[in-house]
Amino acid sequence: MRGAVAILKKEMRSYFFSPVAYVILGVFLFIMGVIFAKFVDIYQRFNSVQRFGSGQGITLDKLATYLYQNMAFILCFVTPFLTMRLYAEEKRQQTFELLFTAPLRKFELVLGKFLAAYSLMLFMVGVSFIYILFMILWGNPELPIVGSTYLGLLLALACYISLGGLISAMTSSQAIAAIWTFIVLLLLWLLQSLGQGISAKTGFIEWGPLLVYLSPLGHFNSFSEGLIHLKDLVYFLSFTLLTLYFTYCVVESNRWR
Amino acid sequence: MIEVKNLTKKYGDRTAINNLSFSVAKGEILGFLGQNGAGKTTTMKILTGFMPASSGSISIGGFDVFESPIDVKKRIGYLPENPPVYPELLVVEYLSFVADLRGIKETEKRRNIDRVIERCNLGDVRRRLIGNLSKGYRQRVGLAQALIHEPEVLILDEPTVGLDPKQVTEARGLIKSLRSEKTVIYSTHILSEVAATCDRIIVIDRGHIVAQEAINPMGAAGGLVKTEVVVRKVGEELKSKLTSLPGVKGVVVSSNGANRLVIETEAKEEVIAQVSKTIVDSDAGLIKMSPVQQALEEYYLSLITGKGGTPL
Repeated sequence: MRGAVAILKKEMRSYFFSPVAYVILGVFLFIMGVIFAKFVDIYQRFNSVQRFGSGQGITLDKLATYLYQNMAFILCFVTPFLTMRLYAEEKRQQTFELLFTAPLRKFELVLGKFLAAYSLMLFMVGVSFIYILFMILWGNPELPIVGSTYLGLLLALACYISLGGLISAMTSSQAIAAIWTFIVLLLLWLLQSLGQGISAKTGFIEWGPLLVYLSPLGHFNSFSEGLIHLKDLVYFLSFTLLTLYFTYCVVESNRWR
Repeated sequence: MIEVKNLTKKYGDRTAINNLSFSVAKGEILGFLGQNGAGKTTTMKILTGFMPASSGSISIGGFDVFESPIDVKKRIGYLPENPPVYPELLVVEYLSFVADLRGIKETEKRRNIDRVIERCNLGDVRRRLIGNLSKGYRQRVGLAQALIHEPEVLILDEPTVGLDPKQVTEARGLIKSLRSEKTVIYSTHILSEVAATCDRIIVIDRGHIVAQEAINPMGAAGGLVKTEVVVRKVGEELKSKLTSLPGVKGVVVSSNGANRLVIETEAKEEVIAQVSKTIVDSDAGLIKMSPVQQALEEYYLSLITGKGGTPL
């Protein structure tokens, strides 16, 4: 485990060496701020409509749900910036020779790198808690739902980061790693709406529901509605662990070439 | 200390190294000589456990590289061809990271870092970004990295490439200072470097070992050295006197001039001393006496061009 901690520390140092981490954090919070302000505005208008007695408005916890569904999507754009250099840069700088000739186990390497990118991501998301703070101060959002949403976000981000790491391990170019990570994440999101329109069947495989199941969107949405299902937990955890395992395999296979 | 048996590595159809076997004793400095692409780097990468071999076995300090890689890696310091440094770290940060990777205890870390910084002359740049350092300094940081855990075995892949003459001398001095304390394998294609630092050389060409020779005290490979002597006049008497000396293998008049003799002798200081005494006593008028520096080069070229030639 000592090796994993050493890798984690070094990765953190590398993140904050360049302004990239600060810029991403700033841009992310700005975009979230704009979305939050817009939603509050919409919420107020609905409320005033409601006050004059015409049907249903949106409630404050619906507002939080929308906010987080948007956030989960925006983080797809953020992920590549955090994961692109993890392995690609080691390969380009030929520093793998250092890591592989040290008494470091490969899973420690994979774990250390994952934890570094993941904790930076969690820090970003943690700062966004400020919006919830506003809601608590001037409204009363349902805190259990906020809690389950954060749990969902935590799990979804683990998938994003591990996937980004896997793609970074497959190339020695940061740019290629970033682009592919973004494409794959976007495709995973789109699987949801793609799957809903499909009713084809091959044997006992129903393609529609399968695609919907493979997309993280539906799983995340149930968390953001306050539902914690075992199947969603299993989806996120197995996704992350499997991707980390594949990363391990790719890193290991690099030695054989 | 290091035992390599029938090592073979194939990249697809191409055989990079073919059936290499050699051993290195504890405290020995072994020079690994060969042209670019001869298989030096591949051999070193396999020795360090960075890359698996296609077949064969290596044991280092009693541990098999393939069966207990972690035990082997703990005992090896490795400096690859391109120093594996991170440009975004300070020198001390980098060394501290390597110390962590190597599992050096927090209490000993400080001391180990200071020791390698002093040994590799990095005091001036300890708080500089590695990205801003010159090639020579990066190479030294790479060497510091390889020494930080006080390994028993040091594997250096062309450690003096890209250094200026002063740095080359320093690096050689550093490597020499490790003699008897550590076992060193050292690859290069600079011959004078081998003569200056190594105890023994292995010449490899296209994946095969073509020669294994001890470097004698006179700085040449094998048991014999050549000495060129310039005298005022060469007589048959002098030639026969020299030829009859114990340890002298041959005396020929040099092609560079009639008053020059090339004397081939055993590589022993006593023999050379006896030769000089004989010349002085013979009244031939000794002007100059010098070892033939080209010996190793000629030998090496004869090996890799496959023209045979006698070891000098």
